[in-house]
Amino acid sequence: MSNAAARNADLRGTLSLPAILTGILGILSLVVLVIDFWPYLANGNITQALLSPDETDFDQILFHFSTLPRLAMAFLCGAGLALAGAAIQTVLRNPLASPTTLGVGAGVEFALTLFVLLAPASLAMFQEAFALAGGLIALGAVYLIAANRGNATLWLILAGMIVNLLLQSGSQIILLFNEQYLQSIFMWGAGDLAQNGWEDTQFVWPRVLMGMIAILALSRPLDLLALGDDTAGSLGAKVTVLRLLILGLAVFITASVISAAGMIGFVGLAIPAALRIAGLSRSRDLMIYSVFTGGFALLIVDFVVRQFNGLGGDPLPTGAATALFGAPFIIFMLRKARIMPGNQNDDQHSDQQIISKTALSIALAVSLLIGVVFSLFVSLDGNGFVILGWQDSSLDILIGRSERTFAAMICGAALAVSGTLIQRVGRNPLASPEITGVSSATALAMILALAIFGFGQRAELMVIGAAGGIASLFVLLALCRKFTHAPHYMLLNGLAMTAILGAMVRIVLTRSGTQTSMLMSWLAGTTYFTSMDEVMIVAGVTGALLILAIALRRPLELASLGTDQSVSLGLGISGFQFAMMLLAAILAASATLLVGPLSFVGLMAPHLARVAGYRLAGGHLLGAVLIGVNVMMVAEWLARNMIYPAQLPTGLIAALIGTGYFLILAIRKR
Amino acid sequence: MNILRALVCPVLLCAALIGATMSPVMADPIEIEHERGILRLDVPATRVATINWSFTESVIALGLDPVAIADPQDYVDWVAKPDLPESFVDLGPRASPNLEALRAAKPDLIITVPDIGMAYEKLAEIAPVLELKLFDGKRPAFETAREVFGKIARATGRETQAQAYLENVDQKLIEYGKRVKTAIGPDQKINVVFFFDESNVGIFAHTSLPGSVMTAMDVPVAYDGEVNKWGFGRGGLEILAPYAKETLVYTTPVPEVILDKLLNSPIWKVMDFSRNNRVYELPVVWAYGGVPSALRFARLLTETIESGPQ
Repeated sequence: MSNAAARNADLRGTLSLPAILTGILGILSLVVLVIDFWPYLANGNITQALLSPDETDFDQILFHFSTLPRLAMAFLCGAGLALAGAAIQTVLRNPLASPTTLGVGAGVEFALTLFVLLAPASLAMFQEAFALAGGLIALGAVYLIAANRGNATLWLILAGMIVNLLLQSGSQIILLFNEQYLQSIFMWGAGDLAQNGWEDTQFVWPRVLMGMIAILALSRPLDLLALGDDTAGSLGAKVTVLRLLILGLAVFITASVISAAGMIGFVGLAIPAALRIAGLSRSRDLMIYSVFTGGFALLIVDFVVRQFNGLGGDPLPTGAATALFGAPFIIFMLRKARIMPGNQNDDQHSDQQIISKTALSIALAVSLLIGVVFSLFVSLDGNGFVILGWQDSSLDILIGRSERTFAAMICGAALAVSGTLIQRVGRNPLASPEITGVSSATALAMILALAIFGFGQRAELMVIGAAGGIASLFVLLALCRKFTHAPHYMLLNGLAMTAILGAMVRIVLTRSGTQTSMLMSWLAGTTYFTSMDEVMIVAGVTGALLILAIALRRPLELASLGTDQSVSLGLGISGFQFAMMLLAAILAASATLLVGPLSFVGLMAPHLARVAGYRLAGGHLLGAVLIGVNVMMVAEWLARNMIYPAQLPTGLIAALIGTGYFLILAIRKR
Repeated sequence: MNILRALVCPVLLCAALIGATMSPVMADPIEIEHERGILRLDVPATRVATINWSFTESVIALGLDPVAIADPQDYVDWVAKPDLPESFVDLGPRASPNLEALRAAKPDLIITVPDIGMAYEKLAEIAPVLELKLFDGKRPAFETAREVFGKIARATGRETQAQAYLENVDQKLIEYGKRVKTAIGPDQKINVVFFFDESNVGIFAHTSLPGSVMTAMDVPVAYDGEVNKWGFGRGGLEILAPYAKETLVYTTPVPEVILDKLLNSPIWKVMDFSRNNRVYELPVVWAYGGVPSALRFARLLTETIESGPQ
């Protein structure tokens, strides 16, 4: 890296790698323009088509009011997002930061979805402010969660992932209850660049331009200060203000782009990161190059996407397509970027305990028992609490409730074990089963089987899902085989896979019509479709693997001390790490089969258990299981009863509880 | 074919005779073919739960009030007619009908769609389930809807009513068809479209419910491009261009903001149908419904077109 940078510095002024890259994309964009303009160039009426189309000529009108604004929008959105990404990466000094990875995009999307569906028309003028606020709040939350870890690269990205998952599921829930508008909002949510007139372009260009100029103006002083907080420490507050301003502007650009065109993933991450790898290091150069490279890149991707949108059939949304193109890039980039894992063990709390572990374990067990009885016998029916009395159907109702309650609890246990293993082996308290990509792959396999290939039987779907989860695990292992020494890479590769799979899920959802709502409620983690047989199978797997993990608690203890120590103690750490990751993945996949891929139990339960004082591996596992089971039980009851007769997905409620927990934790630590 | 019939007929006849002699008093159980094989009911169902609006409207049209209905609020907005009964159990969303509410309604028949096939076993524990497919991407939706209507009538012992209803529908469709053709002129075809947003539209082809009803009315459907499972094609406004010379009818509800933007956009305005006033707005009718919605669509289409372009 440093060699490349130095060589590049020498070459400045002549041809550099970033310049070549931008040049190639520029030429390709020109080719796109020539192809789109050709009919009019050949006819010689290009000026007419460009400036004042013949109102009786449909092709000219279409060219002027659809093709041209689409080209302009593609360039503007690409340029804006790439610049926003470059700015965020520079300010946070994090090569993996971007509007999408830090939750800004999801925040804006959530705010807009909420606004479009729920706000009265009279408030329409506040829509933009609302979207901006959504993006800022999301970024703030990410920052808060990661802040007490010194905002190290990995923490920030993991925090972004948490907030992203939560906001996306929040958006999905709003959509679930507004099913009739699903298709249109899905199109927008998946990043649709289709244009009908110049309105969107006129909305976006002044905002993106203003944001660009402001960021570029602020970046000159920032560059002087970019030597780092320590050296610029004497300038203290000034640096902070400058950074916050630039971040705010980056969010503003992102919000404007997403309002007009929906989620367009990965341009903001991939473009500046690629330019940096190509050798750009000064933030100002990086930003200027990002504007053009980003614009050209999206123009080209959109052109490719348009070729798939022939007449009829279902269109492919551009945003989801960019995620498909862009996410593999993260995997490539991980081989280049230096990841700062941050301080180890900075999450250790003082060893004093609030209550003894035994007392806590007993309390959790008792609450579990009471909770199960409560869950089975008490419900809400829209008017108030109802206690299940003795009638003919009571037994059937109890069976129905226990199916769902136990399904939730078993998943809580499976995810808690999975999360504990991943957190200990990865030595990372923000790691979770969701981000290994296994859950998403399981979900994707099931969705494809259901929506595209028409498998309707749950048993078939379960087998297909399990196969998908296992296949993704092997892909992950293959990707990470060179990085056995650094579990962080495994997590980040998992993150990239989650993103790719997420994009594919979006594409499938835009195409699958009315089944979408069933798919979505399952994706958000509903226990509605589970049956007792399945619960039993997953319970068996979880139990067996839990026992196995507890039997392996000693090597696990060593593994969580850190690679160096463990290797010096003569332990084959990498093989063991993989074995544990494999266990974790199997558990995550089984839980996904039951209630879908989402819930933060795998993240929260092990974390909470450690904070509560379960330090040694064996106790940590059991403590996490107790907590996970309790949380999922509560979430399940709330999900079934809160808005009777409609039911919310359990995973979503668990996720809300989990995110709330992390935010409170972050704020209290300040 | 003939040989097969020759073989099968005597067998059926024998079976019928044996059946008649074996149980002269008991009525034959009702047998209905559905997605899960054959459903047998000893007596016609009277307490029906409907998980899909197409079934809800069909049951109501047959003169029976469903005891439990999924998504009743949205039904009012999107299906509109026939009116829902005064009292029934609200089952919540169609994608996950509340099983405890369903059980409390004490249905003796649950009519559902394969879209929530994953819940079939759970539904079957509560009452006999009739799982009927409404769209398969190939068969015209109106044909399927008629068959489904017949099956629901058999399950509820209302075959005479159904017969009369369908005869009336056939008669009306022919009458409406003639009126539409007189109103639009002999060379015109019709496109029924709906708007996703200001730049994306769906067009109903001949396999969709509106398209297949128009075929039954002998009104020509313009769109002949690619379609999905529900029988509509989808894309940017430009997919309307090849059919600009035909008549265009768009369905509602559409959010006003979207409609405003779309109808005032240059691409829309340049199309021949909007330049020469052949655009009609259809009142609310469920485009994925059953026979009652089919009849309602035919009537509203006729009335809309006769009252002139908007």
